[in-house]
Amino acid sequence: MIRRLFREIGRAPVRILTSVMALALAIGAIGVLAIPAVSTNSLRDAAEADGIPQVIVPIDDSKTFDVAGIVGSVDNVDRAEAEVLTFVEIDGRTTDVLGVDFGNQEIDIVHADVGRLPAAAGEVLVTDGLAQIGDRFEIPLPGGEASSATMSAEVVGVGGTAFWSEDDVVFTSLESAAAIAGVDGANRIVVGTTDLSADALSDTSRDLRAALTEAGITTTSLPFTVPDGHHPIEEAIDQISMLVGMLGIVAGLVALVLLASTVNTLITERTREVAVMRALGAPNRQMRRRLRRLALSIAAAAVVLGLPLGIAISNFIARMILTEFVGITPGFAVSIPVMVGSALFALLGARIVAARAARRVTARPLAEALRDRNGSPFGRRLSERLTARVRVGALLDRTAVRNGVHQRARSFAMFAQITAAVAALLIVASLATTITDYNAAEIEPVQWGSRTFVPGPGLDIDASIADSDPRSEVGIDIAGELEGWETDLVGFAPDTLMIDRTMDAGRWFAAPGEVALSTGFAERIDVEIGDEIDVELASGSHRYTVVGLHPDSGRSVFIDTSELAADMNRPGMGNVVMSLDEESPAYMTGLLSVERLTDISEDDSGRDAILMIFTAIGAIVVAVAGLAVASGLAVGVYERRHEFAAMRAVGGRRRHIFRVVVAELLPLGTLGIGAGLVAGWFGGAAIMESFEASNAVEIGYTFATGAIPAAVGAVVIGSLLLGGLMVRRVTRQPVAVTLRGAA
Amino acid sequence: MSPDPYRVAPPEPHASPDVPRLTPLVQAHDLTRRWGRGSSAQLGVDRVDLNIGSGELASIVGPSGSGKSTLGALIAGIDNPTSGSLVVDGTRIDSLSNDRLARWRGRTVGIVFQDFHLLPTLSAEENVELAVQLADRSVHRRERRERSRDALASVGLADKRRRLPTQLSGGEQQRVAIARALVTRPRLIVADEPTGSLDQASGHVVFELLAGLTATGTTVLFITHDPELARRADRQIEMLDGRIATHTAAGIDMSPLVAAGTIDEQVAR
Repeated sequence: MIRRLFREIGRAPVRILTSVMALALAIGAIGVLAIPAVSTNSLRDAAEADGIPQVIVPIDDSKTFDVAGIVGSVDNVDRAEAEVLTFVEIDGRTTDVLGVDFGNQEIDIVHADVGRLPAAAGEVLVTDGLAQIGDRFEIPLPGGEASSATMSAEVVGVGGTAFWSEDDVVFTSLESAAAIAGVDGANRIVVGTTDLSADALSDTSRDLRAALTEAGITTTSLPFTVPDGHHPIEEAIDQISMLVGMLGIVAGLVALVLLASTVNTLITERTREVAVMRALGAPNRQMRRRLRRLALSIAAAAVVLGLPLGIAISNFIARMILTEFVGITPGFAVSIPVMVGSALFALLGARIVAARAARRVTARPLAEALRDRNGSPFGRRLSERLTARVRVGALLDRTAVRNGVHQRARSFAMFAQITAAVAALLIVASLATTITDYNAAEIEPVQWGSRTFVPGPGLDIDASIADSDPRSEVGIDIAGELEGWETDLVGFAPDTLMIDRTMDAGRWFAAPGEVALSTGFAERIDVEIGDEIDVELASGSHRYTVVGLHPDSGRSVFIDTSELAADMNRPGMGNVVMSLDEESPAYMTGLLSVERLTDISEDDSGRDAILMIFTAIGAIVVAVAGLAVASGLAVGVYERRHEFAAMRAVGGRRRHIFRVVVAELLPLGTLGIGAGLVAGWFGGAAIMESFEASNAVEIGYTFATGAIPAAVGAVVIGSLLLGGLMVRRVTRQPVAVTLRGAA
Repeated sequence: MSPDPYRVAPPEPHASPDVPRLTPLVQAHDLTRRWGRGSSAQLGVDRVDLNIGSGELASIVGPSGSGKSTLGALIAGIDNPTSGSLVVDGTRIDSLSNDRLARWRGRTVGIVFQDFHLLPTLSAEENVELAVQLADRSVHRRERRERSRDALASVGLADKRRRLPTQLSGGEQQRVAIARALVTRPRLIVADEPTGSLDQASGHVVFELLAGLTATGTTVLFITHDPELARRADRQIEMLDGRIATHTAAGIDMSPLVAAGTIDEQVAR
């Protein structure tokens, strides 16, 4: 088989190698489908190695307490540890500080990649890039004069945990973190369970809250669960993976068309050669086997080249995703199912297409096949005869169009490839515009300039602190649950200035028990104005009446701050100070975290990261499609070289040949662009719809009309360049030499 | 308009006043076509000197591989000589670029191939019309169509002008190819074994068609395997191993004259 392959390569090296390379790239592109598996495997490995917690319970500071004694008796709890989570400001950046019991960790185990774990008070370990071993910084402590009460911290190690891999974190002892946070005990409990299923964790979460309440420990936010031993970021990665998968399917379809057209051409162009052998007595069965083997050898060569390429592509993009979104650098991973699948796809696909083409080639009457040079002669089919009757346009254009009809399979393949490339371009561009518009829409109703938080998960800010400040307001921002969806409960004053209260429908809340809901969220969970909703809060379930739908693009419930604080058993309190100014109010002192609207609106890093990934995948699809079109065009022009030589013999120049090639390509390009635009529109809309459905939010969809000229330009310029290149090659030889080959 | 740099001056009249002279349309000197290099080089035409006058019907015969088709291809301007000079209709074509050569072919030469080489996607009429369009864009579409219909009528195919090549017999396809060759009113027609794929009757029809063109002053170079057809030409050139072996005009062997250089400039009828 290998000897035959080399003999074939020797006959037409450029065409065979182009076919092999195109097929290899197509097989490689299918490797895109391995990205989710590669990413997930890396995440799960990291999660397992570090003992990812299954339930995380943020608690209000409750002095020192016996964690094991309180939650140890809860069903399904295998192990539990107390932690302190707070933040400090390092080099102007708000940085999380996590206090753990280094000597006794079983959950979310902190490891030092460089240096060692902290062993003494004031020693810290930091995530990579935050500081270096030996660095020292002064951390202000609460409860005294900020200038005098500080803790001197020294970096003794660099490392972290998989759970915290996407953040800048300072890890230190429980005692040091408690001192920094100004709490006496822990403010968070992490739990490992025996049953990791989502249902079991939901029950455990409820039981944990009950056990803590019984022990007099209050919670402000609902526990966070991490089911099935997955990494917490996996859900987000899954959504990106789903989109990656969709583009992978586009790549797969492109590969399928490419495979079919390549194999078909390889066999059809041997019609005459096969006919000669049949005339000499070779049985049809033997000829078919020979042709199938030829196709298989080409596909096998493509598999050998394509699989490593696919592994490289999937690892490259998985690495991009994990580095950008999770902050971990994954090891090298291979998805065996995708590898085997893509190899089988190529080999079985080649076998099936080859069998069909070989049957066709050997079924032709011998006399007819011996006369034939380039497949079936024009005029045999009704469609060809009908096209020949259309005598509109210049002669060169007519011959181009008729040839397109004659070589309908190849024409369709090229049309499909152009469609796929344009669709991929448009989908990527539409995702970019949609995300940009969504980001803008997300902050459009916001009128606050800054939000100031204090350390700790509870409602620790007295609402009266802003009574005399007309430009500020104390509010609440906590997590709850509605209809199974994690929901933001956002407390405002009924006459708040911090958000635009213009509604999509209904009105802003005014009386106790009234709430407003994000419009898109309400639609997804089928809630209308006047409906009553049951919201699960850390303090229990609460019923409210929906009086308005707000154009907020998230999953938010807007409620009167004072009512929410009362429902949380912390009347008169809040956890955020919103201000119309960019700076935190002067009366907010101590350790603060300030979120500024300008920073949010200028932060394009999330969008850029997603776009980078989709651009990479889009580029792969476009490259495969481009190569496929080039390959199809090369074969088409090569097959017609005698025809072109005859044209040149009667006075045709290179530009005439070029015109014929372009005239054949441009209608396919035009149709491909049209179909690509439609496919791009629907593809992008479907991706966004699935995103909205899986997140229960209103994202909207902005079709990237601005990208249409670019797509059209790419197809037109690509066609002209490819056409020019092919024509140049085919007209290099003297006419007589080309025609002699035909005889 | 600047003069064509490839156009050469007409040849000097022959020194001998007693031999009637024709203006030579084709003047080949030391014409050689070789493929490959070194020991594996193949020689198609080897240092051929040849002149063919206007309005002549010349046949080239010879065994397979003797170089007759190669010589025809060089004269038709569809192949490039390795060395030597070739002037056809006053234009030195051995050093023309591909596109200039194509333009020259369109205006000067009509070519008829053994395998017809019609464009399969165009009807008989469109094939003929295309030759006019490629040769001269200034010809109006209506005139183009009229000329192609006339050309097809002249080869007896007026009623089959709408047919595709696949819907025509071999003889009919060859007649379409002849119509395509003559529709541009070329000075020279090179027919490379035009009867090779045809039965005897069709072959004779094709030959008569081509031979009749000389009456209008067109030079016809007829390459054939058929000695009987070759003998009916004004002049027969027999090739062997890439060289002209014998050169006969009006039944007289002119090879000694050619060898002696007596008619190396112009050819007597």
